[in-house]
Amino acid sequence: MATLIVALIIGAILFGVGLYGSLSQTNLVMIMMGVELMLGGAAVNLVAFWRFLHPEAYSGQVFVLIVMTVMALEMAVGFGVGTARFRYKGSVEMEEARDLKG
Amino acid sequence: MTTAIVILVLLAGAYVVAVLEGWATNGRLRPAGPALDAVALLGRESVVTRSSDRIFFEVGPVLLLISALLAAAVLPLSPGLVVTDLATGALFVNMALAFVMVALVMAGWGPDGVYAMVGGWRFLGQLVGYSMLIVMPLTAVAMRAESLFTIRIVESQGALWNVIFQPLGFVLFFLAALAVCFLPPFDLPTAPGELAGGVMAEYTGARLAIMRLARMVLVVTLAVTVTVFYLGGWIGPVLPPWAWTLGKSLLVAAVMLFAGRYVPRIREEHFLQWFWKFGIPLALVNILYVGIVLLVVDK
Amino acid sequence: MLQTIFVGLFGIAAIWFGVVVFTTSSMVRSALALLFSQVAIGAMFLAMQSEFLGVLQIMMMATEMSIMAIFMVMYMMDPGGLMGMDMTHQKRISQAVGVLGALLVIGLVFLVGWGPIAGSVSPGRQVHDLGIELMERSMLIFETAGITILTAMIATIAVALERRR
Repeated sequence: MATLIVALIIGAILFGVGLYGSLSQTNLVMIMMGVELMLGGAAVNLVAFWRFLHPEAYSGQVFVLIVMTVMALEMAVGFGVGTARFRYKGSVEMEEARDLKG
Repeated sequence: MTTAIVILVLLAGAYVVAVLEGWATNGRLRPAGPALDAVALLGRESVVTRSSDRIFFEVGPVLLLISALLAAAVLPLSPGLVVTDLATGALFVNMALAFVMVALVMAGWGPDGVYAMVGGWRFLGQLVGYSMLIVMPLTAVAMRAESLFTIRIVESQGALWNVIFQPLGFVLFFLAALAVCFLPPFDLPTAPGELAGGVMAEYTGARLAIMRLARMVLVVTLAVTVTVFYLGGWIGPVLPPWAWTLGKSLLVAAVMLFAGRYVPRIREEHFLQWFWKFGIPLALVNILYVGIVLLVVDK
Repeated sequence: MLQTIFVGLFGIAAIWFGVVVFTTSSMVRSALALLFSQVAIGAMFLAMQSEFLGVLQIMMMATEMSIMAIFMVMYMMDPGGLMGMDMTHQKRISQAVGVLGALLVIGLVFLVGWGPIAGSVSPGRQVHDLGIELMERSMLIFETAGITILTAMIATIAVALERRR
């Protein structure tokens, strides 16, 4: 029981740190790093649930595999969008991206 | 006990590979060469660049050594001589080799010097090329062994070695192994003559000794990996099992060191083109071929 | 008991590296701190006896975060961090939201009745059972993930391609 609580608390704190990072940073790359931390916290929770509550159901591990896939994909697509933005504007600061046109 | 034996074997192998590399580069066989060079390096002045990123500067060479040793921890030298027989052995080797990348990025960024940085980022481009090819042939190997345990992978080659069963996979994995330990013709990060040593340029004294030792241990580890996955590990008629493993690894390391020097250094864009456009489809064809053979032909 | 200690230690390492990501001013240090945070998360997976996921997480994150490092050097204004710029906005609000979110989830952790705790698992059968699960019951999920990856790759290349004039 103690291990489960410890793992869930750590997942919660990781989520909190990632949330702070995503909301406070102005650069696209740093925002994505915050999202990576949030997804990492969610993955920790999922593995803790799998191991301590239902170790016989491997769909928990499949869920974590999908979360890892999503982490890689959002980074890839985010960097693609960042590259296009950098080519157009010369920076990926989100403060300058307030207007819809251009 | 097993750990001590494996580490001693690795260090002895690294010494022999260093002698071989000296022979391949200079053309002269100097058996006491590496020992004298190590003593000379340790005695030299240790220079730190002016505005280096201190953490990365120190950690880079050590991480390279750690990643090579970690990868060797799951490789069996004989049926009982493996440091840890993990259930995901084949994947663990790739995990440890991924940290070669991190170590070279650290060694490239740390010294705050142009040559080192260019070398470090070049290795990142090289990683984009070789990273698929060092994992996909292992998929086909694991398909044949029906397990990721390295001991079972060697035992599955009892009837026929993987180099004959999956020759395409062997060629791709061998090329990817050459790219991982940045030996010629894939020595873009260090590029002697072009980058003046690249990632090793700003290191002097004891740190350079650790980095060179780490590179030699990496070559030995990759030679043992090729042996375990493709050349049937310890399987052989007369000699004891560990002698077969060491002999085959030595042969693979010698081929890795000597064969690449006859080809000019491949450029980054050509490297990426060849490995992505040809290597990955060929790796997929290899998996398809092995799957068909395993399902259709009776083992 | 030992498992709790290891999970706790790796977790504290993950959190500490995560905080370093946003407090350091050098961009490459930030990317590599995120790498070590994710490696600590992978080590937590290993401590919780899910071997395949732990090894996979560490391997994937080593590669991904190194690629993130070069993108940071390409797109950020001060990669070395020697000028000490502060690149945050709405700092108080986001700190409050972050702390609030973490406290909310921790409160949930203690209020929910989690039920019986399961015993131990054996790593040897795990890889085999995970493979069987992927190939039999979760095959549709896996194939959908494969198609999604392909679509994302094509979309990313299409977005990042330079327009021909």
